[in-house]
Amino acid sequence: MTRTTPEVSQNLAMRSIPQEVTGRGSVFAVCFCFLFSIAPHFVNLPIWVIIIVLIALVWRSLQNIGMIGELPKWMLIPLVLFGGIGVFAEYWTIVGRDAGLALLTVMTSFKFLESQRHRDMLILVFLCYFLIATHFLFSQSIPTAVMMFVTLVVITATLITLNQRDDSVSVKERLQSSARLVALSVPLMLILFVLVPRIPGPLWGLQSEQRGGVTGLSDRMSPGKISNLIRSNEVAFRVEFEGDIPAQSNLYWRGPVMASYDGFSWHQTPRRARSRPDLILSEAPVNYTVTLEPNGEHWLLALDIPTRMIKDSIMTGDYQLINKQEINDLKRYSMQSRLAYQIGVDESAGYLATTLEYPARYNPETQAYGKSLAQLFERPEEIVEEVLKMFREQEYYYTLQPPALGNNSVDEFLFGTRRGFCEHYAGAFALLMRSAGVPARIVTGYQGGEYNEVGNYLIVRQSDAHAWAEIWIENRGWLRVDPTAAVSPNRIESGIDDALADEDSNFRIQNRNPIFGNLLYSWDNLQHSWNDWVLNYDQRKQRNFLEKLELGIETWSDMIFTLMFLLLTVTGLYWFIAWYRERPPRPQAYEMMFNRLLKKLSKRGFRKQPAEDTRAFLARLPRDELPQRDQIAAIVELYNRIKYGRHGASTRALNSLRTMINSVRI
Amino acid sequence: MLSVALPRPVRQFIDNWFDSHNPPSRDSILLHNRRLYILPTRFGYLFAIMLLLLFLAAINYQNSMAFVLTFMLTSLMIVSLWHTHKNLLGVTVHMQIPRPVYCGESCELKFELSHSNTSRRYAIGIQYLEQPPVYLKLDPEGSAQAKLKIPTHRRGEYWLASITVFTRYPTGLFHAWGWLKFDLPVLVYPRPATGVTLEHSMIEQYDGQTSTSTIEGDDFAGLREHREGESLRHISWKAYAQGRGLLTKTFQGQARPSLWIDWDLLSEGSTEDRLSLMTALVLAAESEEQKYGLRLPGVLIEQGYGNAHKHNCLQVLAVFRQPTGNHEFRPADD
Repeated sequence: MTRTTPEVSQNLAMRSIPQEVTGRGSVFAVCFCFLFSIAPHFVNLPIWVIIIVLIALVWRSLQNIGMIGELPKWMLIPLVLFGGIGVFAEYWTIVGRDAGLALLTVMTSFKFLESQRHRDMLILVFLCYFLIATHFLFSQSIPTAVMMFVTLVVITATLITLNQRDDSVSVKERLQSSARLVALSVPLMLILFVLVPRIPGPLWGLQSEQRGGVTGLSDRMSPGKISNLIRSNEVAFRVEFEGDIPAQSNLYWRGPVMASYDGFSWHQTPRRARSRPDLILSEAPVNYTVTLEPNGEHWLLALDIPTRMIKDSIMTGDYQLINKQEINDLKRYSMQSRLAYQIGVDESAGYLATTLEYPARYNPETQAYGKSLAQLFERPEEIVEEVLKMFREQEYYYTLQPPALGNNSVDEFLFGTRRGFCEHYAGAFALLMRSAGVPARIVTGYQGGEYNEVGNYLIVRQSDAHAWAEIWIENRGWLRVDPTAAVSPNRIESGIDDALADEDSNFRIQNRNPIFGNLLYSWDNLQHSWNDWVLNYDQRKQRNFLEKLELGIETWSDMIFTLMFLLLTVTGLYWFIAWYRERPPRPQAYEMMFNRLLKKLSKRGFRKQPAEDTRAFLARLPRDELPQRDQIAAIVELYNRIKYGRHGASTRALNSLRTMINSVRI
Repeated sequence: MLSVALPRPVRQFIDNWFDSHNPPSRDSILLHNRRLYILPTRFGYLFAIMLLLLFLAAINYQNSMAFVLTFMLTSLMIVSLWHTHKNLLGVTVHMQIPRPVYCGESCELKFELSHSNTSRRYAIGIQYLEQPPVYLKLDPEGSAQAKLKIPTHRRGEYWLASITVFTRYPTGLFHAWGWLKFDLPVLVYPRPATGVTLEHSMIEQYDGQTSTSTIEGDDFAGLREHREGESLRHISWKAYAQGRGLLTKTFQGQARPSLWIDWDLLSEGSTEDRLSLMTALVLAAESEEQKYGLRLPGVLIEQGYGNAHKHNCLQVLAVFRQPTGNHEFRPADD
């Protein structure tokens, strides 16, 4: 019978494995896996979506143990429609971060109801992998990253569950294998992270989206606005200085400037980009780098006043830095400022007119007082001094809990309650100035900051938010006047905690937690490094980093080549370690040596039987035919001593065995 | 399938290539590097597409952690490529000679998989053509048996197609496999016809001597001189011990009736029907302890009995006028 060659088709095509209905254990594993991946999102999802998730999981689990039947197929279409409409009704869109997440979650839940086969389960696991990515649209902090690794282990263990084919591998073993896979991936991931060439985004237009939950400065200021912000302990930005950190009282972080007043709130006027520099600088510049947390707005914070432009931003006529895009991700920029300056000496008449406007209907007492001041004093400086003296000497209080104010808020505050926060003082001061005929505007931003000695940088929190005023004086330009300093000098000189010592508001690490202070500073430092090295690792950072390594990795092809080389090296190393650890056990060295002797003997016709004792074999060797018998006897003696003796296979014994065996000529 | 689109020389070339890289064996095959192949599964490709999407999203949103996740999953894919390959590398597959079966029964292909590494191996599948695979796992330095039941539907002698040993463990993103070609025949006897007895008219009864002195039989008849070539079993060791030399015990009794199972005497019918009938007769004769011989056009098997004789006859029936062509062993549902 001739052997025929098989059809090529069998050789080339990967044989299909018949579709299987998935096992019980697998279904539970996938249910758990989905729950684990989605649970951190429960805070970001509407309650009805969470209920759908839970119902779907419970339904699928009950179905798994046979308590309820399969969902009829026709039910799916109405369910999917319901989910889509529900999401649309909630967000008025189905794209974007929040709506997209809700839609993905709802559809995945419905997918559970119709998943019976092995491949459906695999697709669900893939969706879980995808879900991890959505977490990073909400937070990229260290805890989220740690959670990512844990979730990866859980999802990969589920994938292993689906591929083990029977339930013979224990849960512990699966988690171990999965953890091993994830751990082995980390070095490769680091290589890819560092070396995959970064392309500046975005690739397609990003829908700008109002992100809820971001605290920060606003584009208007009214009484109560900043004092609300101050209750937040969140970090607004961190600053590394290139030299000494300037004195606390000089740390005015300039944010939105407001020149328009409607009787209650202050607003920004339409921004004009600077046409020409008009500042007269008088002191050495301060250089620093700001790592700004996302604020959902356009403003970049800089020390009063910024003297450098950065990419993709403009500087307005009132020295505000405006980013062209909303800042929804961490932003890092190098900045330069001058602490002593003269700006706006030749301010346009039109703008000055705006900074004198106020509605006559509101706050008549304040207006009257302002006008009287203008008659009393000739120079604006004297008016300023008079008002500050009033704040300083009369019973004005700096408090986080000012009483509520009505329509004539400034009147009520100045002549009634006399309790207020920085925005009350700044607002009242600016209105008084305007009524007295002095151009005035409000600047909001932050004042001060907390020094982290662990990382040698400054932490500025939302609680450092502040508002102050600027007035314009002929030939001197715009001057900063901070009326809060008159009421509460502590606020400016040592910070918000000291200023509000009576109100038990501890925002700073050292005040909050004197014992673990250093630990908390280290934690903040870790976050700062994380921001700097992980979240901010973009094209520029990558280039700088590779330059610093001085390995000559400059172009894309260099990077790809190095990348491939490193990946192959590391996987080769893995391969070698695994080969070494899992290799078949070798016979002991002395056995191998002794076998060599036996082989030599068997060539002469003296064959040791497999079960024969070495000494019995020795006795069998004829002395007359084998003159080396004595030598062999010594070797057998040593061999037995190594094999069975108490001190066993010492290096010395092994060496002499080798010498003896080599010296035997048979 | 792929083969359809390939021109003949290309097919030939690929065939030769595979044959030279996967030489057939009679018993054991070690899955070493050159015998192992690995490709992504459908889910592997799907996973890769997902990675690409994640990568684009990471670039678009300039989201560092999305980059971390993308690269983490890419690395996971690289690591699982290696793990899947490792799960199969160094496994030795030993195949037992398949036992002949009657057409319609399932042929059992028995394998023993073993390895000498100190690692565990999981979810190794073994598959014959498109038949459902059997999965097994191996303990450190351990072995495990797998049995594939292949339904048969045609008598004849066949050659085994290559057997696939594969794994997708741990992540199912890759499919690693090896083709094992065993040079072992599979014999499928014709299906025995039912309701057949020896009184069947189509058997030529052979009227030999009814009583003879032979070394086979029921009643002891006496001793005679041992002749060279006779079985040692029939030597009277008692007599030998008494110093009488080698004597053979003889028995008196009914000699086995003997008969011929003759192709020409069977009634008209298709070849397969006739072979079925003859198979049934062989089995009946064997179970009734008769001597029987086989007469087929061009083939003659002398009368005899016993297991070896039976299998000899059945083999002849199995391959008698077996259609020429591809004698590859294929399961019934083909």
